[in-house]
Amino acid sequence: MNTFPPARRSVSARRLLCAATAASLLLAAPAQADKTDDAQAAAILPHLDTGYYDRPDLPLKQNENYANSSADVEPYGGVKPYKEHFLVQMEYTGAGRGIPEPEHVDTVRIGFLGPIKPTVSVATGGKSHNEEKLGIAMMQGTTLAIEQANAQGGYLKRHIPFELVVHNDNALWGASGSEVVDMAYKDKVWAIVGGIDGANTHIAIRVALKIEIPWMTPGDLDPTYIETNIPWVMRCVGDDRQLNYLLVDYAMRKMGYKRPCILRSGNRYGRFGVREIRDGCRRLEHPIVCEMPYKGGATDFSMQLDRIAEYKPDVIFHWGNGADAARVLNAIRARGWKQPFLTCDRAVSDEFLQIAGANAEGVICGYPWDPERKDPKLAAFREAFRKRWGVEPDTYATHAYDGTNMIIWAIQNAGLNRAKIRDMIAFRTEPFHGVTGDIPLSSAMDDAGDVFLAIRENGKWVYHSREDLGIPRGKVIEKPRVERDVASADK
Amino acid sequence: MYPPHPRLLALAALLFTNLPHPAAAIDAAKPAADPGLPYVYTKWEQLTTKDGLPNDHIFAVKADPTRNCVWIGTEDGLACYDKETKKIRSWQEKDGLPWRVVTAIDIDPRTGDVWLGLFGGGLARFSAGRFDHFSQLNSGLVNDVVYAIAIEGDHVWCATTAGASRYNTKTDKWDIFTEKNAPMEEIWNYNVSAHDGKVHLAVWGSGVLEQDIKTENWKVYLDPDGEMEIDLYRDDGNIHVIVTGAVYREKVLWISSYFGVCRYDGRHWHGFYDHDSGLPSNFTNNLMARSAHEAWFATDKGLGACMDDATNTWVSYTSDGDHHTGKAVIMRDNKVIQVVDTGYNVPHNFQICVDFDGQDVWAGTSKGLGHGIGKGYYPRLRPAPASNAKSP
Repeated sequence: MNTFPPARRSVSARRLLCAATAASLLLAAPAQADKTDDAQAAAILPHLDTGYYDRPDLPLKQNENYANSSADVEPYGGVKPYKEHFLVQMEYTGAGRGIPEPEHVDTVRIGFLGPIKPTVSVATGGKSHNEEKLGIAMMQGTTLAIEQANAQGGYLKRHIPFELVVHNDNALWGASGSEVVDMAYKDKVWAIVGGIDGANTHIAIRVALKIEIPWMTPGDLDPTYIETNIPWVMRCVGDDRQLNYLLVDYAMRKMGYKRPCILRSGNRYGRFGVREIRDGCRRLEHPIVCEMPYKGGATDFSMQLDRIAEYKPDVIFHWGNGADAARVLNAIRARGWKQPFLTCDRAVSDEFLQIAGANAEGVICGYPWDPERKDPKLAAFREAFRKRWGVEPDTYATHAYDGTNMIIWAIQNAGLNRAKIRDMIAFRTEPFHGVTGDIPLSSAMDDAGDVFLAIRENGKWVYHSREDLGIPRGKVIEKPRVERDVASADK
Repeated sequence: MYPPHPRLLALAALLFTNLPHPAAAIDAAKPAADPGLPYVYTKWEQLTTKDGLPNDHIFAVKADPTRNCVWIGTEDGLACYDKETKKIRSWQEKDGLPWRVVTAIDIDPRTGDVWLGLFGGGLARFSAGRFDHFSQLNSGLVNDVVYAIAIEGDHVWCATTAGASRYNTKTDKWDIFTEKNAPMEEIWNYNVSAHDGKVHLAVWGSGVLEQDIKTENWKVYLDPDGEMEIDLYRDDGNIHVIVTGAVYREKVLWISSYFGVCRYDGRHWHGFYDHDSGLPSNFTNNLMARSAHEAWFATDKGLGACMDDATNTWVSYTSDGDHHTGKAVIMRDNKVIQVVDTGYNVPHNFQICVDFDGQDVWAGTSKGLGHGIGKGYYPRLRPAPASNAKSP
């Protein structure tokens, strides 16, 4: 099934005009604003007409603890830091709120940046990392949200459709930045949804900061994405830090493993994906005994496994793409090793299962949401997605659907002003009710909701919350570290 | 002033106990003399589209004393303000400017060529009324998203979103610096400056890289604690790994970031935050250093000038654009010393870039360009009360 319209441009951009057609009306699973949405809009909107010089007189989000981190895994736990960042929401203080809506607009354009086509990228260190499947799923979720909004009347203030402007972020020579420039100045989008690869996304959000355009990522789980302190970026999916915390708590606190090792992809995704595993294990007094990177797409892991064998690990953490995870796992099991294999959400994929076969049984993945959640909204989305695309939505598609709906909600209320669109999401105090569950944004505008473990049990992925499995958590101190009487360590 | 280190206090106590004359100890116990006050810019003018700028969103400003003008890079065009005639001339894409967004400007002092960094449009040379365009497709420019440029001898350095490029204007040779040949953990270059025999690259995610121009050796300044969410100690090194600017003056390196700013004199580091100094906000888009002791920071909540590092004395300029009023707040450490009514100063509090022009200062903002007229400017501190000052 060809899921794409014909390309309009010879460059990497492809544009979807999603008019409110009869077909899409049939497909529509209404993404109507609920009472919370209406109440939140009513609370925020009157404060946004500040003109060029003022700022909304609305309270900034404040957290007492960064990323819900337990005291015993906070960095330099024995020392009171001089300054702790990310506890108070970043403000946008520029002149953007004073820019009037344009008079003549035929469509309301929303940008999409994701890995759609494979290519070579400096930013990712060479050939793109087989993320196109994830990017296409993300684009499908975004497209469905746009189509449904159009089926309900499009941009309601002017009765014009939303339009998705799609750009590939695996463009040549690290040019994801140029793609964002094009979206902002040539395509004139009002907000952007996208980002999977951490390096490309970092390049893109730096551009978004300069240009001043809201950026929602449903697919880049790199913790440092929101740790850039950019007031324009937000994330609607639990990040790798949260997945790391849960995996470490499971392995170290619940199961009591003592000799963890890490085998990971050598790219930025692998390098940054395991930071809190590495730090968490060390801070829980069982440091990683061996960490070995491999080149994405590798088939021979003998060098890495020979080295790891010398350290006799009792649990193996892995971070990399689904296919890589499967090949690594097969190599481990081929040696007769029985250690638990804990990995990231990308292993929850058909590709992983096809390659891993029976070895998949017992694999444990961090996972940013619970797809088995009973929710009519989720069921309606699944049905609409299947009808539209002929496949089941994966985690990228589902989070993209939520993230796009958040942006659409913001545009419907704020109007065509990038700063105000940003404000609607930034100043919202209540969680968004998405198909992935509630999405509460932290002071860093990161999804602070629960994350889960996906465990392959009897040939099925079974999703468990921390509570389901009785996974202990270290003590979380709800007080900024610089205000505590003693340093954070509280073992 | 910086809080004294406990070890220094202990050493001082030890020294004082061994002093031969008790008068020295008595002198030490006296209250410290008032170190004086910094110069405050009380005369400002503002330039906006009403005055002829092509756009009010100012990304770059560069004084050009030779031509007695100021070059201004905006979100939609290049402008030149003639200080004598007070007229603005501008160039947009229709006038030959290769791309609308001008994020960086520097001037070759030997040729007078004006070099332009274009955000998503590469690099341009403006010479004799003609724009020459360099892009990643027709030159060795590593990426078209150019954040900053700096002229260093025969070279034009470009800080781009995917590495740094160095163009030799005499030989036409391009060099590219990325993680492959420089100590860049990440390649996201944000700023570049060239002064006093060194080039400094401010790299988002990789701290500050310093190249010695003679040896071409690199040195890197990272955040010693290595953590994104905290600054462990105030004065232990570069304040954060995500930096936005680095300028070297009189053998002192000043650094800006979105997490505060810092100063390094080759031996000691000092960090400055909005809670312990007059820095208006920790979110600092850019900086320009005037000397080893004075640096100005373009923050999202005003223009902050560290006027004397040794006493941590600052002046922060903020305005109310709706009512055309403004003030300068003189602070020492985190104490307000004086509030000076300056009238309307910077046209908007969201500061993006800053440059010096002799005694004057130029501030590019989110909504226009500010010009502080520095008649009677003096460096550091003087015991002269400002006539229009009032106590907080």
